[in-house]
Amino acid sequence: MAKQTDPETLSWISRKLLWVDKPGSADKLFKILAVVCALLFLSEFTFHKHVIVAVENIPGFYGIFGFVMFTALILVAKMLRTIIKRPEDYYAPKAIDSEEYPQADTERLDHDA
Amino acid sequence: MMPEQFPIAFLFIIAGLIVAFIPQGRGRVSFTMLVPIFAAWMIWNLQPGVYGQVEFFGLPMEMMRVDKLSTIFGLVFCLASFIGNLYAWHVRDTVQQVAALLYAGSAIGAVFAGDLVTLFIYWEGTALASVFLIWARRTEGAYYTGLRYLIIQVGSGVILLAGIVLLHGETGSITFEKMTLGSLATWLIFLAFGIKCAFPLLHNWLQDSYPAATITGTVILSAFTTKLAVYALARGFPGTEILIYIGAVMTLFPIFFAEIENDLRRVLAYSLNNQLGFMVVGIGIGTELSLNGTAAHAFAHILYKGLLFMSVGAVMYRTGTSKASELGGLYRTMPITAICCLVGAASISAFPLFSGFVSKSLILDASASNGYTLVWIALVFASAGVLSHSGIKIPFFAFFAHDSGKRPKEAPTHMLIAMVFTAFLCIFIGVFPEPLYALLPYPVDFQPYTTSHVVGQLQLLLFALLAFCVLMRTGIHPPEIRAINLDSDWTYRKFAPMVITKIAAVFSSVWTYQTTFWLGTFDRIVEGFYHSHGPEGRIARVWPTGAMVLWIAILLAGTLLVSFY
Repeated sequence: MAKQTDPETLSWISRKLLWVDKPGSADKLFKILAVVCALLFLSEFTFHKHVIVAVENIPGFYGIFGFVMFTALILVAKMLRTIIKRPEDYYAPKAIDSEEYPQADTERLDHDA
Repeated sequence: MMPEQFPIAFLFIIAGLIVAFIPQGRGRVSFTMLVPIFAAWMIWNLQPGVYGQVEFFGLPMEMMRVDKLSTIFGLVFCLASFIGNLYAWHVRDTVQQVAALLYAGSAIGAVFAGDLVTLFIYWEGTALASVFLIWARRTEGAYYTGLRYLIIQVGSGVILLAGIVLLHGETGSITFEKMTLGSLATWLIFLAFGIKCAFPLLHNWLQDSYPAATITGTVILSAFTTKLAVYALARGFPGTEILIYIGAVMTLFPIFFAEIENDLRRVLAYSLNNQLGFMVVGIGIGTELSLNGTAAHAFAHILYKGLLFMSVGAVMYRTGTSKASELGGLYRTMPITAICCLVGAASISAFPLFSGFVSKSLILDASASNGYTLVWIALVFASAGVLSHSGIKIPFFAFFAHDSGKRPKEAPTHMLIAMVFTAFLCIFIGVFPEPLYALLPYPVDFQPYTTSHVVGQLQLLLFALLAFCVLMRTGIHPPEIRAINLDSDWTYRKFAPMVITKIAAVFSSVWTYQTTFWLGTFDRIVEGFYHSHGPEGRIARVWPTGAMVLWIAILLAGTLLVSFY
């Protein structure tokens, strides 16, 4: 359950960051990112590219490559998960995955504690 | 003794022995922080040369070989040790304090080793000291993980020793210098370095053990062992072509595993493996530019990787977990940790103005300009992959994403100081790369901030980020779930034990059958004798005569045998 936290108790940095959770902020960020990407793509035509590998000559090579390969990576990883996923206690008790981290080594304090 | 004759490693080892006698508390922790500062000052003032030569069983050992390559690794190890001990200000555990000092000392000793025997001694030293940072968690799982870690690390040392012995037989020398792969000796040494460097299929000790250490232990572990191996490869095998391909594979495969891993500290371990790949490619190319790239990347990497481990560690310190599925939305109450994590993420993703950009560029440039186009493509892909797990996944799923409802208090002050200091260094190196470049083994003639370069890198990263947003909004991005993933360690954690158990079961059933059969037969024979010769037996009726006849028969048979031969 998400606790309601009074913004007044947060530090000024957090209060500034709270903007990202406002309705519509995520859309705004996404649009800004899309515009920046478009500008980056167009900016390529304004200067002479210094190229080492021939493929770099393709306009927007890095952008296209980044977008396509990132998507491919996520899709392949997702498929990989269906094959190699196992329950957390698969190696138990000889692994830490299903163990609790020792309480004594931590100081689990709540924000308003 | 001249100051330069004094091996820096001894400073840490002596400090490690003294530290146990200083009363536990701030004084002791301050002492553990002063040691690396003093060591760094000593290293800074060393003149290039070979010092500390001693005879050891007739072998000429060189405790201190000072040149630019050993100096930059020595300095960054001191820096990592200082930051790690500052981050561990709250720890009141003698085992961890001593282990952290001995571990850093061993790593530094190995870096300055001028001969292979000295290298071997410190090589094993890092293994023995570091395992206590895992065991210090003091749980059953950590105990077994530590054992696995120790077996592999010590095994690497044993293989190294075998290689050294063979090499000494071949060449009569134990000097640690550039080697060429060819004989069994050099292959063994290469393999030993490869295990510690987490080459593909030899890598799993890393992802297995680093998440099992204590919160502060992992921060310290992340700096030394693997970078020592990178140093050893850069010293021993620069320009060995096979390293280019090993390195390229190393940059690629971990990004898939990191993407679907739930434990953020294990995500970082996979990411560490991927970063090592870049360094290994640089060593394989072996030009001045690429070796500079490896040294620079190792330096920058130790800092931003430490920073990322520290920020996840701080989350763990406050919430008790580092699992992405249990976290989210922590930026509200841990904003400084979140920002430090973002700086680490930007650095490892090599955003312009952050440290990864000015170091990784050297390696990418070297691979492209030396005609390794496919390798270059792999590295560019791997760079997008780094963004996916270290650049986005770590900060996003810990501090943003869905609200986990957790409202932990901000990290303690000493952790914040350690993180902000490291974050500052990451940005400083990114903005002013010259001081780092000045430390590199060869003169640097490289300008990372060209328009083509900056625009290209920003395109790569921001379009990849755009792809992430699209995948998140369409729900295609895999969710974080409580699970583990198999990797090649399955072979020795499940498969081999299973096979051995099966074989043992077969042997044990054969053994049981055999023993029951023979014991049964024996019983029957004895029973038979008892039946005929026992007190109730037929022969017992004429017992004295019967026994007499039997003994005479045996006697006659004996005589016959003796006279026959």
